[in-house]
Amino acid sequence: MASAAAERKVIRVLLVEDEEIHKVLARALLRSAVGGVELDEAGTGAEAVRRVRDGGASAGAYDLIITDGKMPVMDGHEATRRIRAMGVTTPIVGLSSDTFPSDVDAFIKAGADDFTPKPLSKEKLVRILAKFNLV
Amino acid sequence: MDYTNLRRQIISMKKSLFDQGYLDEQFNQLEELQDDSSPNFVDEVVALFFKDSSRLLTNIEQALEKYPQDFYRLDSLVYQFKGSGSSIGALRMKNECSMFKAHCNDRDLEGYRTLDDSSSIPASHSLLEQLHLIPWLTQMPPVTPEDKEGACHSEAEAGDIFSCKHKHQIKGPVST
Repeated sequence: MASAAAERKVIRVLLVEDEEIHKVLARALLRSAVGGVELDEAGTGAEAVRRVRDGGASAGAYDLIITDGKMPVMDGHEATRRIRAMGVTTPIVGLSSDTFPSDVDAFIKAGADDFTPKPLSKEKLVRILAKFNLV
Repeated sequence: MDYTNLRRQIISMKKSLFDQGYLDEQFNQLEELQDDSSPNFVDEVVALFFKDSSRLLTNIEQALEKYPQDFYRLDSLVYQFKGSGSSIGALRMKNECSMFKAHCNDRDLEGYRTLDDSSSIPASHSLLEQLHLIPWLTQMPPVTPEDKEGACHSEAEAGDIFSCKHKHQIKGPVST
């Protein structure tokens, strides 16, 4: 899937975040760090699950999912669990202001592949994209 | 308007915020993301922060006044506040939020309340109000050779400009 993204030269990212300031920052960072990016956004974990399911879970709608932890309706941990339960193997990165080991563990146990503390930065994003061979 | 001195004061203010630990590298990231396609990016993000923080501070104050305290709600509010502040590099405020959250986890806000007023979330936040001035740096006219020549004088020293060893061309009234 990662090599397909690299061949396509456009990566499809789902950003799961309810707060505008983090969305604005993530949009700017993604467009700065990646030449071609198609960015979808979900304001809750429930919307994220719907987008992944409706986008064609088996077809791999996204190359990367970045999700906040605390959100209304459904948090990022539960969304991660449900996305994994669909059989989706897309890399999922948890993004949160809570950075205790227990917070990181919660994401990893839910099925996330990585965690990075807020705020998202160019360095963190480049590391994530390199880790999952998306650049 | 004396843009040279205004520019110098804003730069000095910004440096002071970094030196005193109120801002960190994240703010530089915002400035690096500002370009021709997003010429007001810093202003936009800073404005979002103050829009969030105004609402959150009010909610936190209201939550603190309730008894018994809803620590879950307080923790959630401070989580948002911490995240929002970290987006603009508000380092000291982020650390204050972490301390506050720790007290929430211990169900003990009395310990937090006994801290010096200068070490509080509102105090850190109020100092960050100066960030509203930084977008002015990109909106002011560019520095001219005349500006640089006159830059050795502050507004207060404008009256002594004739005693300066540098040659100055005076255009219009000297500002005081």
